[in-house]
Amino acid sequence: MAEDLLTVSALSAGYLGEDVLSEVTLDVASGEAVAVIGSNGAGKTTLLRAICGLLPTTAGSVHFGQTKLTGLGAHSIARAGIAFVPAERHLFPTMSVRDNLSLGAYPKRHQHAKLEFVFELFPRLEERGGQHAGTMSGGEQQMLAVGRALMSEPRLLVLDEPTTGLSPLLATEAYSALAKLRADGLTILVAEQQVPLALSLADRGYVLDHGKIQLSGQAAELADDPGVRKAYMGVT
Amino acid sequence: MTAVVLDGIVLGLQLGLLGVGLTLVYGLGGVLNLAHGQFAVLGAIVIARMLDASFSLWVAIPVGLVCIGLVGLLIDLTLMRPVYKLRGEERVLLGLLLMLGVGTIIDGLLEWRYPIEALSIRISGDPVPILGVSMRIGGLVGSGIALVAGAALFVFFRFSTFGRATRSVIQDEEGARLCGINPATVRTTIFALSAVLAGLVAIARAMTAPIVVTGGVRLTILALIVAVVGGLGSVSGAFLAGILLGVVSTVSAFYIGSYITSIILLATAAITIVFRPSGLLGHRP
Repeated sequence: MAEDLLTVSALSAGYLGEDVLSEVTLDVASGEAVAVIGSNGAGKTTLLRAICGLLPTTAGSVHFGQTKLTGLGAHSIARAGIAFVPAERHLFPTMSVRDNLSLGAYPKRHQHAKLEFVFELFPRLEERGGQHAGTMSGGEQQMLAVGRALMSEPRLLVLDEPTTGLSPLLATEAYSALAKLRADGLTILVAEQQVPLALSLADRGYVLDHGKIQLSGQAAELADDPGVRKAYMGVT
Repeated sequence: MTAVVLDGIVLGLQLGLLGVGLTLVYGLGGVLNLAHGQFAVLGAIVIARMLDASFSLWVAIPVGLVCIGLVGLLIDLTLMRPVYKLRGEERVLLGLLLMLGVGTIIDGLLEWRYPIEALSIRISGDPVPILGVSMRIGGLVGSGIALVAGAALFVFFRFSTFGRATRSVIQDEEGARLCGINPATVRTTIFALSAVLAGLVAIARAMTAPIVVTGGVRLTILALIVAVVGGLGSVSGAFLAGILLGVVSTVSAFYIGSYITSIILLATAAITIVFRPSGLLGHRP
């Protein structure tokens, strides 16, 4: 087994003094794709925001390789090599697609090779290069958010509900782009409500409910688990 | 009429540069710098004192701008720290109250220490005819300063990495943090830059009319009006609004009377808020 790239130990976090997340432990090995699945309100977004430094943690720790991330600001964590794609995308609406992408490379400064890579993955972004991000469709904005995250040449790509607001067809397309990245060796951590899609991408998965990890295992095992199928895959 | 409009444009360019400083700081961190005009006057008085001590203009101007920039830097690093820890309405309120206090202190100190000090910069040279109107050289040099500064800002925000990072924080702070940009660094740098811009306005303005120690409040109010009309956070909006308000101001002063001009300017700002809440070129909802 490859060494752990991300190690989350007994992490708790929440809002206004109340923990949403209680003592979550998970790890992601280098080159692996890991899914955190669960229903709306299970704590998936809280978990990812706490890992990426957008939310203060109340207990536990997060390590990235040998680096301790707990207590660092979101910008430092981004510079350390974790790129986060939030569900709301947080693009720069009145800047062009190209400017959005070049800001994604802010920690790196050199960006031309990476820009070609992103345009190859999402040819649509090259066609729309001069357009303002805010005027694009939901699917294109999702591509741009992922493209911007890739510009920093991250060692770990973290995505929160990448299918938010997408049609079933576009959701499938988004996941096939992620599968390509995964095949290229990128390490991915994704939180997702659309469990079948997430488990088709991932090597391993964690089931999060009420802020706690209820179950974890190989993606194929989880997909066959009767409880998971009943609760999240619409199988009765 | 042409002469009045040209005078309006000269005034407008200075107003634009004045508004830019205020608009940037507000767009970045929600701090309404109600000491912006006082920053301009403070810079002017530093320069005036140095001129009195027979330094040349070429020494006095850079020293004045550096001084006011350092004052801005210091205020951001101390007084503004607790402000940026707050969110939403509380941040706006604490920010504007503290800066109102800073403005009052600067006003008080200057009036106490240097009550009759003023900065006038005389540029020698014959008037230049433009569109049949003979324009004073001081106004033209002042406009040149504002134009060059405006163009430099435009290039900075459009093409430099740090300039783009600044715009990204204005548009979506969380998105900027995810790109590895530290909003605190950006805010501190721009706060200091904004103070330098205020000093620059004072220098440009001093070429047409003296900057007196009591002029700060009026400049702050003008900056506020320009920033509101232009759209908070928009550089080009501030210049557009500056020119528009400059022309409105000179035309109304010429045809109606200067006493009512301030009211007309405030009314323009109020009407903008009603019909175009985000300002001429603002993008914030």
